[in-house]
Amino acid sequence: MKKGNFVFNRVFTVLVFLFLYAPILLLIVFSFNKGNSNIVWSGFSLDWYRKLFSDRLIMQSVYTTLLVSLLATAIATFAGTFAAIGFHALRRRSRNVLTTVNNIPMMNADIVTGVAMCLFFVAFFGLWTDFAVWFNGIQDVIELPTRLTLGFGTLLIAHVSFNIPYVILSVSPKLRQMDKNLVDAAMDLGCTWMQAFWKVILPEIKPGIISGALTAFTMSVDDFIISYFTAGSSSSTLAMTIYGMTKKRVTPEINAISTLLFFTVLLLLVIVNVREARLERLGKQQPAVRRSPTVEKLSAALSTPRGKWVRWGGTASLACIFVAAVALLTGATNAQPVVNVCSWGEYIDESLITQFEEETGIIVNYQTAESNEALYSLLKSGAGDYDVVTPSDYMISQLIEEDMLEELDYSNIPNFQLIDDRFKNLPYDPENKYTVPYAWGTVGIIYNTTMIEEPITSWSAMFDTQYAGNVLMFRNSRDAMATALLYLGYSLNTTDEGELREAFQLLADAKKNGVYQSFVMDEIYQKLEGGNAAIGAYYAGDYLTMLENNEDLAFVVPEEGSNWFMDAMCVLKDAPHKAEAEAWINFIASTDASLANMDYIWYASPNKEALEQYPAYYEEEYDEPLDPEIYEIMAAPAEVLDQCEAYLVLPAETRRLYNTLWTELGI
Amino acid sequence: MKNKLSRFAIPYVIWMALFVVAPIIMVVVYAFSSADGGFTLDNFSNMGTYAVVFGRSFKLAFIATVICLAIGYPVSYMMSKEGPGFQRIAMVLIMLPMWINFLLRTYSWMSILENNGLLNQLFRSIGLISLYNRVFGTELQFFPMMNTQGAVVLGMVYNYLPFMILPIYSVIIKLDNSLIEAARDLGANSINVFRRVILPLSFPGILSGITMVFVPSVSTFAISKMLGGGTEMILGDLIEQQFLGGAYNPQLGAAISLVMMVIVVVCMVVMNRFGEGEEQAVML
Repeated sequence: MKKGNFVFNRVFTVLVFLFLYAPILLLIVFSFNKGNSNIVWSGFSLDWYRKLFSDRLIMQSVYTTLLVSLLATAIATFAGTFAAIGFHALRRRSRNVLTTVNNIPMMNADIVTGVAMCLFFVAFFGLWTDFAVWFNGIQDVIELPTRLTLGFGTLLIAHVSFNIPYVILSVSPKLRQMDKNLVDAAMDLGCTWMQAFWKVILPEIKPGIISGALTAFTMSVDDFIISYFTAGSSSSTLAMTIYGMTKKRVTPEINAISTLLFFTVLLLLVIVNVREARLERLGKQQPAVRRSPTVEKLSAALSTPRGKWVRWGGTASLACIFVAAVALLTGATNAQPVVNVCSWGEYIDESLITQFEEETGIIVNYQTAESNEALYSLLKSGAGDYDVVTPSDYMISQLIEEDMLEELDYSNIPNFQLIDDRFKNLPYDPENKYTVPYAWGTVGIIYNTTMIEEPITSWSAMFDTQYAGNVLMFRNSRDAMATALLYLGYSLNTTDEGELREAFQLLADAKKNGVYQSFVMDEIYQKLEGGNAAIGAYYAGDYLTMLENNEDLAFVVPEEGSNWFMDAMCVLKDAPHKAEAEAWINFIASTDASLANMDYIWYASPNKEALEQYPAYYEEEYDEPLDPEIYEIMAAPAEVLDQCEAYLVLPAETRRLYNTLWTELGI
Repeated sequence: MKNKLSRFAIPYVIWMALFVVAPIIMVVVYAFSSADGGFTLDNFSNMGTYAVVFGRSFKLAFIATVICLAIGYPVSYMMSKEGPGFQRIAMVLIMLPMWINFLLRTYSWMSILENNGLLNQLFRSIGLISLYNRVFGTELQFFPMMNTQGAVVLGMVYNYLPFMILPIYSVIIKLDNSLIEAARDLGANSINVFRRVILPLSFPGILSGITMVFVPSVSTFAISKMLGGGTEMILGDLIEQQFLGGAYNPQLGAAISLVMMVIVVVCMVVMNRFGEGEEQAVML
């Protein structure tokens, strides 16, 4: 009976650990995979490790993560320890109140904390701008910056805020366990309270401080949600980079960096534990030798009168190093010109970023948003503070209407000349004051020919219960509603509430009948390529990218017509790096960059030369002619475009209706 | 002396006022304002529409918490019975996964659970799917595991299980062994010792474990988006959607956050009260 119990216990524990480690093992194994799949093993290689170290985006985010976690842990441990001592010394009632407030960040959902911080910072920045303008107006000795943005500073504050409670939580019990008379005794024996703190309190609570610091560090590294809301556009933690990737395909480089981090931490923990275990064993044999002689000597030195100076000197120099590090950090980022760009996922040949940086010395912070609506939210909430964005036609109109775009100085963008005339002065920017087109394409249905036998020709496939569980629908209101409106034969730009509600009902019924496997944006890559879903509506260029990985996929612009879209680069109002932004836009609009980009993202370029030269470029690059069918899918010919309608900006009232219906659909 | 030390609390009190209390006040302000800044109760009047989402979130989080407790308690208890070497290794092994970002671990689950993923491929190759089809007369190509509520619960359990194990373990390990011996001496069998002594004494650990699992489960949005497919939103998704997602309406988002916060806090306070009472009763 006892024996059986024991075996059962062990088996259960092993199973739990298996559950905890199975996905991690998978990650580690596939970091050595030759291919870029997380499922199919295609041979051993260290390629991803090599690539990792040249991937600036990932390395930068690893650096940001470690830096913010270390700084936040150091500050939180220091502040939290003193706060805990302070709390402990308070009277019961005030202590209880403060402890409750202290518990808020832990009791509160991360998302509420993140949202609250974001709202607070943005509101504070607004007040600050007013103050700085007023202050700079009344004197001219000190020039205050008028524009503050979310960034490393706010990220750090947020991390410190959610770390301190963990430190307090683990230090407080140690304080409670401490014999109160110890401090009094020390002071009776002539200690100052400073000495009492160093010689009596600190050694007692040290284990609490260490475990608090460890917890804080772990929480910082693992945090995603709070960072997501407070990091702004210029800094990105590893978690945020990964989140951006989980939407499309996670590059195995991430597996590689995680494997490295994992083994580093494992090594550290092993060392610490082996040391502790040895100390414990030693301690058992001869209890006196718990501290090593060096520590003994050091503490002896610190307790002499001169030691006070050593101590203060030490603290002061630590503080200096800290301040210097922060200054260096902010200085380093300020010294080099930067441009903050926000675009869509899988929407640029990343070697262009490196090329631009080498040519101009301007650092590009490249981030992605999920959809036009999400981009709008980022801009409105102040969480996204970019210079250049690449919204689609209708969103551009909306941004212009709300006075959120800056007029461009086209003399800085000579390559605008190269844009095909048919893509200039489009309805969203009739006088072409704000935009330079980036790429265009059509929306259609992508399906897997091995899973769907009959060719798909109509939008009805998106609502057909015979495909239940196999259909992927857009996760953005405008595109999702468009599929339904097209099927019903209405205009994409209808403002008629009846028509919109009818379209909504079509979507809602299909959802209720289980037609949709999921609502996706760039996750569609992974789902269609892997044969996890059969049908999805998406953009032509992305279809061609998927085709490279799965030849069974087909694309159709349905017979009811579709949407054709233009994404254009624009600069946001009061962007701090306008000159750099224009340099970037000019670079991207060039024929060479357009060709490279087209070859990578498979969206048609508005650059006339580039679009015409692309088949030749392709033949030269790959030694085989470009399939004309592929070229037609990429750059839809006039007869297809004739069937398509561009989105126009909707009146505010209709937009509100879209938001309401969209939220309702999600429920 | 006492008073001098209490001064140490002042900086943090200021910090809390700025970065804990003020942000929450901002949420409250937003929740009661309209898009153009005026006072309104509109954000709350439609809250009934979202009752389904509230219900679903609390249900999934509840299930995840119960499962975590059902797995976490025995694991912590068994660990505490092992030798110090084993305990040390086990603790390291439990902390370690947190060092691989949870998004990545969740992503890894995606490749395991997908319709064409590792598990389904395994089931197919050992003939489990065709066996199932023969027995139940179905024509499944795969077991649908992704994009279900089950997958979301799995993701929650997987990610938050360490938060259940750690506090329970740290309480059990500190239990005064003489209490157990006393109970034995007084004639209690091992079931009774566990039920009347160990379990009640580990209540504080259980409570904090429940809090640490339940709260993040209610409000997650990444896990549900990745494993749940986004067809059935939970609260985190709904809030994220209003702030940074596809339907910009921060006032509504703040209102939903506020309601969620109130419900969660009430739950926790009630639970802690209940827990404290229990603890005292046992102590007496």
